[in-house]
Amino acid sequence: MSKLKAIPLHTKILIGLVLGLVYGMVSIQMGWSAEFTVDYIKPVGTIFVRSLKMIAVPLILASLIIGVANIGDISKLSRMGGKTLGIFLITTIIATSLGLFLVNTIKPGKKLPMETRESLMMLYNSTAESKASVAAQIKDSTPLQPLVDMVPENIVQSATDNGSMLQVVFFAIICGIALLQVPKNKGATVIAFFDGLNEIIIKIVDYIMIVAPYGVFALIASLIVEIAGDSPEKAWELLKALLWYSMTVLAGLLLMMTVVYPILLKLFSKIKYKDFFKGMRPAMLLGFSTSSSSATLPVTMERVEKHLGVSEEVSSFVLPLGATINMNGTSLYQGVAAIFIAQALDLNLTIAQQIMIVLTATLAAVGSAGVPGAGMVMLVIVLESVGIPTAGIALIVAPDRILDMVRTMVNLTGDAAVAVVVASTEGELDPDLTRDNILTQTPS
Amino acid sequence: MKKLPLHSRILIGMCLGILWGLLASNFGWVDFTIDWIKPFGSIFVNLLKLVAVPLVLVTIILGISSLSDLAKLTRIGTQTLVLFFSISLICAVIGLLFAASLQPGKYLSAEKRDEIKLKYADDVGSRMGVAEMVKDAGPLQIIEDLVPGNIFFASQDNRNMLQVIFFAILFGLGIVLSPKEKVQGVISFFDGVNEVILKMVNIIMKYAPIGVFALIGALIVDMAGNNPADALAILKVLGIFALVFIAALLAVMFGLYPILVRSFTRFKYLEFLRALVPAQLLAFSTSSSAATLPITLECTEKNLKVREEIAGFVLPLGITINMHGTAVHQAVSAVFIAQAFGHDLTLTQYAIVAFTSVLASMGAPAVPGAGIIMQLMVLGAIGVEAEGLALILAVDRPLDMLRTIPNVVGDALVASIIDKREMEQ
Repeated sequence: MSKLKAIPLHTKILIGLVLGLVYGMVSIQMGWSAEFTVDYIKPVGTIFVRSLKMIAVPLILASLIIGVANIGDISKLSRMGGKTLGIFLITTIIATSLGLFLVNTIKPGKKLPMETRESLMMLYNSTAESKASVAAQIKDSTPLQPLVDMVPENIVQSATDNGSMLQVVFFAIICGIALLQVPKNKGATVIAFFDGLNEIIIKIVDYIMIVAPYGVFALIASLIVEIAGDSPEKAWELLKALLWYSMTVLAGLLLMMTVVYPILLKLFSKIKYKDFFKGMRPAMLLGFSTSSSSATLPVTMERVEKHLGVSEEVSSFVLPLGATINMNGTSLYQGVAAIFIAQALDLNLTIAQQIMIVLTATLAAVGSAGVPGAGMVMLVIVLESVGIPTAGIALIVAPDRILDMVRTMVNLTGDAAVAVVVASTEGELDPDLTRDNILTQTPS
Repeated sequence: MKKLPLHSRILIGMCLGILWGLLASNFGWVDFTIDWIKPFGSIFVNLLKLVAVPLVLVTIILGISSLSDLAKLTRIGTQTLVLFFSISLICAVIGLLFAASLQPGKYLSAEKRDEIKLKYADDVGSRMGVAEMVKDAGPLQIIEDLVPGNIFFASQDNRNMLQVIFFAILFGLGIVLSPKEKVQGVISFFDGVNEVILKMVNIIMKYAPIGVFALIGALIVDMAGNNPADALAILKVLGIFALVFIAALLAVMFGLYPILVRSFTRFKYLEFLRALVPAQLLAFSTSSSAATLPITLECTEKNLKVREEIAGFVLPLGITINMHGTAVHQAVSAVFIAQAFGHDLTLTQYAIVAFTSVLASMGAPAVPGAGIIMQLMVLGAIGVEAEGLALILAVDRPLDMLRTIPNVVGDALVASIIDKREMEQ
């Protein structure tokens, strides 16, 4: 048992994933009855997904209220704070939109044959009814309807419905801002309450993550068994579609690294992208292998200060903040994943719904700051907010680990780029330092 | 009036209710009673249920968070579940023994059976839909349903109590494992809420005698209707079944419980029962263990001196998954229906009845009448006609009142047993 505990969580998830794949494939090849899998293995996956859903609303509420209250303090503190938050917000929106653009052009979900998509739809009961209601909404909605829909009429009612996530977000933000303006001594109890609540919810997410390896195993195994039925070709088709999906995410992440950040740096700083990339390389590698931006933070800070010439004042402010709330790679991934699932289930999302995805993904990134396993909870939040069946998450858990490594790399590169931009516009950048170090540095 | 203890006042309310009910059905004040008296009973039950979800949430969270030690929590948790299950199983077996030996179903003639079946066909039909859903589900559905998809949605409905409990347990664990100074704000908040709820219960209980009066009065009027002869006729037919069930309940209350109380708690049985009198009266008149929870908590903590953290954990859990009376009822009525339809049950089938009865009693929500739906599950397991449900629907209400008493007493019993064991640790 103690040996099992020593294995890090993400390795365990990976093992669960592989075992699930193997189980599913073997089960199909041997022609085992699907009944056993559906009756006794699938529930584990369902329980896992349900517990993620369970924690989504409380998480958003508590963490956003506290998050806004804290961020508010930051932006009040300095002009730099406001600027940093602004750039974070913009890069996140760009990342998510880029993801959406790619997934809508490449359409990886449509690579699945019609038949498979139909059986997926049956499987996750994304009923025709939800489609119909969406269609009805489009018909008599005005362009600003999404904005109107953001404001809850009754917050408790919105909280009971995972589909009203954005309304909960809206309320939490207002509540956080209000808390900022309340005199300290009066708001202290409320802040302490939500602070504690946040702490507890993070602990609960920890518990849920303990089940994650088993949940992932069950999700993958039952997905393969149920979709493929008795023909292994269908399973291969599914894997092929997943490959397309992964390529889409990777393409998006690559574009962030090779187009978006270079443009950003070119526009707002004098650093050459080549130098930036060279200076950041060790941090990127570490991020790739640990898939945790917080774990990489010390290295990122050292790199940005010593090798890119950003002043300590800027880096020690921007980078830790960025590690928790600026997740470009993750946001891009959320967008692609959500649309991919929708495509695979043959749900057509409207522009308004896609905008909603951008908004929720961006705000959820702020909300789930520093929560381990946040990626999955955030994705649940995004899916629920546009009414895509959450069980569809089973489709994308397979390549998730690998994509997680790459997107962490993008996350911290984004943080570093923002740090450089802030430093350069604040006049806190020392270009000589950059030059010198790059020249003297031995290639690692 | 103020000086009388609570249970005497409830008892007076109950007697007056019976008196009123008899008078009303004899003199034809039925409409008046339904229009002007019954609502006060419903208000009373609603008041009690109003505090149920917050009370469950808060007591479990506080109960777990004050344990502070995970090993202790696991120990208490496992003991609680084992006790719940094993005592419920014994109860179901007692029910089986009575039903199998006394054979109440044999006294029901085929014509009478069909007559009742026809009369309650609609009632059964409406419950079949729900039962279908239960049937379609996989074997692990019960566990799946433990996990709420949205905790706010789950707290909207008293029937989702188990989901609220699940969340509360996780939340309590989260508190235990977080640094104390960080979560102090949350703990003191829930502490305050707990105090407030208890005060609310005190206020509500002031009104208990009137509520009980209205409940019992309306119940008698409802049952008798304008035609007391009709009610008597049904009672005559199903009387044997009711008597067998009551006998089995008595065997639990005065055979099984005294033994358990004497061997595993620090009380004498009479002392134990007397401490729980208010809870029993309330259980009888509301036939809902959830509605009775606040009083059960008070009786167990104040009169039986069971420590708060144990009562706060065991009792809310018990109201939905520890239902001894329901287990007895499931077993007796399943056998009764099988007998009435001329099935001879094998030993394996008896065993199946015993286990499914326990499962049904554990899965049945703590609201009145839910047990009836779970009954369909038991019947399905041994292949007995679901329409047979009609036979027991007719007398279900009074029997529901009776079986809620052991449901509540059983919870307090388990809490006392665990309290004593923990003290010895």
